[in-house]
Amino acid sequence: MAANPMHQFTVYKIGPKIEIMGIDLSFTNASLFMLISAVLILLLLTFGTNEKKLIPSKVQLLSETLYNFIAKMISDTAGKKAKPYFPFIFSLFVFILFCNMLGMLPYSFTVTSHIIVTLTFALFIFIGVTIVGFTIHGFKYLKIFVPSGVPIVLLPIISIIEIISYLSRPVSLSVRLFANMMAGHTMLKVFGGFVISLGLIGGWLPLTFSVALTGLEILVAFLQAYVFAILTCIYLNDALNLHH
Amino acid sequence: MKKIFCLIILCAYYERNVLAAEAGMPQLDPAYWPSQAFWLIVIFSLIYILISKIFIPKIKSNLDLREDKIRKDLEEAKMLKEESEKKLKKYNSLIQAGKIEVKKIIADGREKLNNDIQQKRREIEEKIEKETKSAEKEIINFKKNSINKISSISEEVASNLVKDIFGESPNASSVKATISQIVKDSKI
Repeated sequence: MAANPMHQFTVYKIGPKIEIMGIDLSFTNASLFMLISAVLILLLLTFGTNEKKLIPSKVQLLSETLYNFIAKMISDTAGKKAKPYFPFIFSLFVFILFCNMLGMLPYSFTVTSHIIVTLTFALFIFIGVTIVGFTIHGFKYLKIFVPSGVPIVLLPIISIIEIISYLSRPVSLSVRLFANMMAGHTMLKVFGGFVISLGLIGGWLPLTFSVALTGLEILVAFLQAYVFAILTCIYLNDALNLHH
Repeated sequence: MKKIFCLIILCAYYERNVLAAEAGMPQLDPAYWPSQAFWLIVIFSLIYILISKIFIPKIKSNLDLREDKIRKDLEEAKMLKEESEKKLKKYNSLIQAGKIEVKKIIADGREKLNNDIQQKRREIEEKIEKETKSAEKEIINFKKNSINKISSISEEVASNLVKDIFGESPNASSVKATISQIVKDSKI
């Protein structure tokens, strides 16, 4: 049972079955780890903002660094107009980061390794960005599919490509995070299984790989959260500033 | 032994069942999709609201506070620096003035001293001159007196000698004349 590398992704019910209008909305281990991430985030921010010291304590410094990091990311990619969306990007980045990092603990569950979770985020961002674009620019927002400076002959093809690329945004956004997390954790599990099956003599090599992969996975966990947030910023930038 | 055997069989059976259920990716099993999406939306909304309403304003206010404080401190430091530079200038000019004054005082003092010394010297010289003159006068007087005294003494000695040799005292006036004659001759 433990040898199956996909077992770690199994979702199971915790507590009673909750059913609303015939849909199963039970509290699962995925929900549990979302909740743990949320609690950790809120704890970090609570202790980070508890006392307003001129010279910050470590936790305060952490929350302020996080704030400055995301503020800089948004102002670099989406400009000043994106300021109202700062809390959303902040929450998004922090939540995905904590879910990814929490998944790095042994025997824990990685919330972001499920396509439905990342797809929910990606669809929300996609729909939200489209709504923002249409409310700001009206029908002119459709110009995003018609790049300027393209020969008339190529325009229909380019437009079709642009539309496809626009529509594939939620898919690429969600699959990138989900596939990265799933692949990384599966690989860790497979190498971990090899350590056991190859035993004392041959097990050292996969163990070394396992250790190296853990480091890599921590990097990936941070990087994917960053990529998710920065792509959201870029989509927002497209909707706010209409570069085409 | 029988118990353990039964347990192994039971475990194997259970495992086979679980493996069968887990064939493929659990991610693609839609049974818990609504649940995951629902809880994600609930929990994320909660975090979003708390972060945007409480934590971000708090962090922002603290950062602004610090920035303000730093800016104010920098301004104050700049002001203090300017002030200290001013003070330094003032101090330097004061020292310069003081140096000039000191030089002046030294020069004045030296001049005064010189004058004093000159005057004193002059006074002393005058005094010395006076004393010398008076001493000279005295010496001259003394000389004169001594000549007179010498003549009288020699008269006396002569008369005594004469008296001792001849038994009678000579005529005083003749002795005097003789002595004065001798003195004149010896040019004392």
